[in-house]
Amino acid sequence: MAKEIEKAGIPVALISALYSLALTTGSSRVVRGTRIEHVCGNPRLSPEKDRELGMRIIGTAFKALQTEVTGPTLFDPEVEMLGVLA
Amino acid sequence: MPQTYKVVSFVNQFFAGVGGEERANHSVQVKPGALGSARGLQQHLGSAATIVATVYGGDNFMNEEKEEASAAVAAALKAYKPDVVIAGPAFNAGRYGLACAEVCRIAREMGIPAVTAMFPENPGALTYRKETLVVPSTESPTGMPAAQRALARLALKLARKEELGSAEAEGYLPRGARKIGLREVPAAERAVSMLLKKMAGTPFATELPIEMPEVVVPAKPTGAMSKVKLALVTSGGLVPKGNPDRLPGGPANVWFSYPIGGLTSMTPDRWESIHVGFYTNIVNQNPNYVIPLNLVRELEDRGVIGGVYDRYLTTSGRGTPVGVAKRIGAEMAAELKANNVDACLLVAT
Repeated sequence: MAKEIEKAGIPVALISALYSLALTTGSSRVVRGTRIEHVCGNPRLSPEKDRELGMRIIGTAFKALQTEVTGPTLFDPEVEMLGVLA
Repeated sequence: MPQTYKVVSFVNQFFAGVGGEERANHSVQVKPGALGSARGLQQHLGSAATIVATVYGGDNFMNEEKEEASAAVAAALKAYKPDVVIAGPAFNAGRYGLACAEVCRIAREMGIPAVTAMFPENPGALTYRKETLVVPSTESPTGMPAAQRALARLALKLARKEELGSAEAEGYLPRGARKIGLREVPAAERAVSMLLKKMAGTPFATELPIEMPEVVVPAKPTGAMSKVKLALVTSGGLVPKGNPDRLPGGPANVWFSYPIGGLTSMTPDRWESIHVGFYTNIVNQNPNYVIPLNLVRELEDRGVIGGVYDRYLTTSGRGTPVGVAKRIGAEMAAELKANNVDACLLVAT
């Protein structure tokens, strides 16, 4: 799906916990999500930490959308976002 | 007296008889003997081999806690020293197939031959495709007896260290490896014969099937996010509560878009996930985990992004064939383009 949307010229940040699968199948911009059951956050954290984590993931997705890539590329929130979006 | 070979079988939480999706986070456990569906496998192995242990792990655990899972599997194989490892059959269960491919890899690295079975479209068949021995199975577990019979046959061959014939002859998925051999007819004649058949529209068997995931040129990046109109898309099967349009839980060959204009968050009173491929309890309590509207609205208010498309797009990605996913993606792209969307977050479960 992501690849078809990309073909139409719309960059897609694919957020998935199964990021290596997303890369293998050729999605261009892959953002590592937390878990299958809660991709954009973690309910086991406090509400503030959950929100922070979600923002980190979204922020990483935005970074991915603004990055020129030549092939399947992983953007890992733990690596990319160090206090950029609070 | 013929040797009885030792087999270790790997299954997921469901086929171990531990539970369904709600137990998908189950850590790796090892039990002596054949557990759950492995009992059927033992019947096909007969007296030629004994399943000395069944290793099982939850579908989520095997994929999300890979290091821990791999270490546990390796420890079990070290303890039991099997002659061959059998993983699955995973049918079209994606996470299970991925786990089976990993288990086979771990066995291989320890010098233990391994074989697995799954539906050819299972993502597990894509990973390590050059190295993993995969028996093609049906999509659903109705094909269990046939798959286990094939697994048993190949496993015994591996245990006996017999050389395997071609993929076609032995009934496993081609791995793209080339073996030197002699064909009866020269290549030029075979090629012309194939071409004549192709031109006449009669069926022919290719000698070299090309099946790689499609390579797509990445879309150009966006400019500043403050000018970007962002759309939210998910394959997590999120729908209005009650699923008014009856989106199938998976596989789905349709998709829908629903209005979110004026909403600042995805709340459990209005939305639910009907996806049958993961435990949806957490998403149903907080749908923002798959359509992160609450966060995106905050960013929109702060001017970090230019705007949010006033509908979100949804389908269920469980077991969706690649061809169908392509069509759905193309149709979604048309709606996004028609509404001047600049970029997209696609949350997959």
